[in-house]
Amino acid sequence: MKASHTMKNRASPFASLLPALLVIGVLVLVPALGPSNRTLSLAISAGINIVALYGLAVLFGQTGILSMGHAALVGVGAYVAAILARDAGIGFWVALPLGSLLAAVAAAIVGVPSLRVSGHHFVIMTFAFGQLLAIVLTNGGDFTGAATGLDLQLPVTWFGRDAGELVPYYFIVVAFVAISAIASWAIINSSYGRTLRAIRENEKLAASLGINVGRHKIGAFVVSGLFAGVSGVLLAYFFRHISPNQFSSFPSIYLALMVMIGGARLLLGPIAGGILVSFLPEMLNLDPVESRILYGVCLIAVILLLPNGLIAGLLQGLQAIVKAAFGSRAETPAAGANNASGARR
Amino acid sequence: MNAILEIRGLRKQFGGVTALSGVDLSIDEGEILGVVGPNGSGKTTLFNVVTGVYKPTAGAVTWHGRDITGLVAHEVSGAGIAHTFQQAMAFPGLPVFENVQIACEHARKSARPYPWTTPDALLDFVGLSELAHERAGILPFGSLRLLGIALALATRPSLILLDEPAAGLNDRETQTLVGLVKQFPQHGISVCVIDHDMKLMQMLCRRLVVLDFGSKIADGLIHDVLNDPKVLEVYLGGVL
Repeated sequence: MKASHTMKNRASPFASLLPALLVIGVLVLVPALGPSNRTLSLAISAGINIVALYGLAVLFGQTGILSMGHAALVGVGAYVAAILARDAGIGFWVALPLGSLLAAVAAAIVGVPSLRVSGHHFVIMTFAFGQLLAIVLTNGGDFTGAATGLDLQLPVTWFGRDAGELVPYYFIVVAFVAISAIASWAIINSSYGRTLRAIRENEKLAASLGINVGRHKIGAFVVSGLFAGVSGVLLAYFFRHISPNQFSSFPSIYLALMVMIGGARLLLGPIAGGILVSFLPEMLNLDPVESRILYGVCLIAVILLLPNGLIAGLLQGLQAIVKAAFGSRAETPAAGANNASGARR
Repeated sequence: MNAILEIRGLRKQFGGVTALSGVDLSIDEGEILGVVGPNGSGKTTLFNVVTGVYKPTAGAVTWHGRDITGLVAHEVSGAGIAHTFQQAMAFPGLPVFENVQIACEHARKSARPYPWTTPDALLDFVGLSELAHERAGILPFGSLRLLGIALALATRPSLILLDEPAAGLNDRETQTLVGLVKQFPQHGISVCVIDHDMKLMQMLCRRLVVLDFGSKIADGLIHDVLNDPKVLEVYLGGVL
């Protein structure tokens, strides 16, 4: 019995990474199918969002804290990239770690006062800070380019060649999606991830076991800022022009929506949420107003019907079908899947 | 007797309500102390002030000669005082094994040898090994209480405060619990238990403290306290 505990706890983490890596493997093959430029552009912006979503997954999925101002942290990364390029001639690869770091610092500055309150109050605080950043950027004069925003002219190169074209940039973004997924997976399966889950499940009990709850909540917010910063630099170098309204309340709500629709606790959640929310309006041929209405309806439907997100809902549905089709014989594998998903969380 | 925890003149006021009005209490090394009192007498407030959930209005708590008044919850745990909760005893969404694993990973460093330092050893001790991979939220109440005990033990305490540990348990489960708690002093863990259940107190404790309206009205050997007319008056409403 004891041996089997250890076995199970060592074997399951890799099993949870595999589906995400398989999906990313499929995504790598997409350019070979000859997609249109429009499709590829959408895929790139979906990927950029997914990087930020993996940070939100740590914050919301593991720690149970929802940020409604997350686009502001993405904005910090994007503006760091644009300002570094304009004033110091610093390019893509150096801007990535710097943008990530500064977004994390911004998260710490917002997190220290905000995380003194919890629940809905924190959500409102993050929303307010998100709006604040948009106002600061709009009134930042020449330094932030005011309401017009900033242009970014430096090329993206890799291995000495230009990588600013759609296809090479797509590969760069997919690589960062993979890195984010693996980083998020490593956090989830570490002692640190377990500590965050303890806080999500029962703050009072966590504190009584010696966990410094406040410090770890701020820590989780800072970690999610690291992801958001990377996402921001990728975004700035993709759109080549950034302006304050890209990082205000609507983009923040979209990010929260994506992570909820996909499911914040499973590793496939951010990928599913990012792709669905980016491609659905396109596939259904909706204009921006209609798509906002659709998002609203989707959000309500997901919260009511699939509180753990689409992927968790699909898995549950599959289990139910298997159970119905094979009767009692299928109960053992279904219970096994339950355990596996428990360990993954 | 060697007191490890000393509480002097502890007061706690919530607005106009006085929950504790100057309580003195000491817990000796290796003893199992019982604290009883009617509802609202301040038992749980006493625990909450000692464990850092509330800050006291006045008074001092001394732990091994060190002033720990006003420390926050995770610092109290780090000092070696563990406690269990009446409600919400575990992390419901996580597997039982992971519950205990988290507690073990945050255990304080202690020079004293503990017989249970791994999740497996703790689950074995409280008899939950078979349920290690179930989600804690689906456990029956009795098992949940035992899991709460395992989590508190995992922090490597030298004092455990048990808040109504037998509430909601049947006789057999209560016997199991008593069997476990009685082993704590052999391993250098003193115990303070609050409960209404006099049968439980008689099984566990030698010394009993009675609280009423935030004050201590009796403190002594359990037999003497239970025959004190003052205690009979407040606790049994004077009917006996």
